[in-house]
Amino acid sequence: MRQAGTYSGMVISGKTGPHLLPLARIKKIMKKSGEEVKMISGESPIVFSKACELFIKELTQRSWMVTIKGKTRTLSKEDVASAVLATDLFDFLLNLVSQSAPAPLHPKPPN
Amino acid sequence: MEPMDIVGKSKEDASLPKATMTKIIKEMLPPDVRVARDAQDLLIECCVEFINLISSESNEVCNREDKRTIAPEHVLKALQALGFGEYIEEVYAAYEQHKIETMDSLKGGKWSNGAEMTEEEAVAEQQRMFAEARARMNGGGVAPKQPDPDPSVES
Repeated sequence: MRQAGTYSGMVISGKTGPHLLPLARIKKIMKKSGEEVKMISGESPIVFSKACELFIKELTQRSWMVTIKGKTRTLSKEDVASAVLATDLFDFLLNLVSQSAPAPLHPKPPN
Repeated sequence: MEPMDIVGKSKEDASLPKATMTKIIKEMLPPDVRVARDAQDLLIECCVEFINLISSESNEVCNREDKRTIAPEHVLKALQALGFGEYIEEVYAAYEQHKIETMDSLKGGKWSNGAEMTEEEAVAEQQRMFAEARARMNGGGVAPKQPDPDPSVES
């Protein structure tokens, strides 16, 4: 049964058992993150998996906050960019989203 | 010249599966909400960037502690250092949960079916083992202690 209008910050997710994100891929990304990355324990990707899940959930939620200010029910790329811009914690993503920003805050430097 | 095209493609070899990411994203939103495809892609890229960030910091934490392998502790410290301290509690809980589940499967689900069964079986096993041991000691001639009240026969 679908419950309409159950939008709330409290999501009852009993699916914490199996990790959702593939550990092998996480490990791959970790190894590519730097030149001198050390060995990674077998348990670390599990921690990463959960952290990523929380990160995505937070970013999605913040983006959604931007979306509902407009009259649309579609979460757009610009909404994500706005959320990043509005959150200091997500400063590391500024470069990534600068191209999708709704207003030209960062004028592209000429070649 | 657009460096993003060249660099972006080579680094995006290892990305996260769209289906799984979409699932996580949609869990956070009301059922009637749509997520634009490019928004999904951007969220995935952000997640990869997040992993890169935490990885680098974890690597440094590991270095500082003079260890060779990045352990979960290092990742947790990295999260704290980068301002994601709020995640630590849930992340640690999930990690602990996984440890419990892993241990359970390693020991075999048979052992954790029910304590009562295990004790009874263990006691029965013990009695059998004692009986066998005694039988061997006595040269197999004398019958060991049995629940049936048979008189011991000496041959």
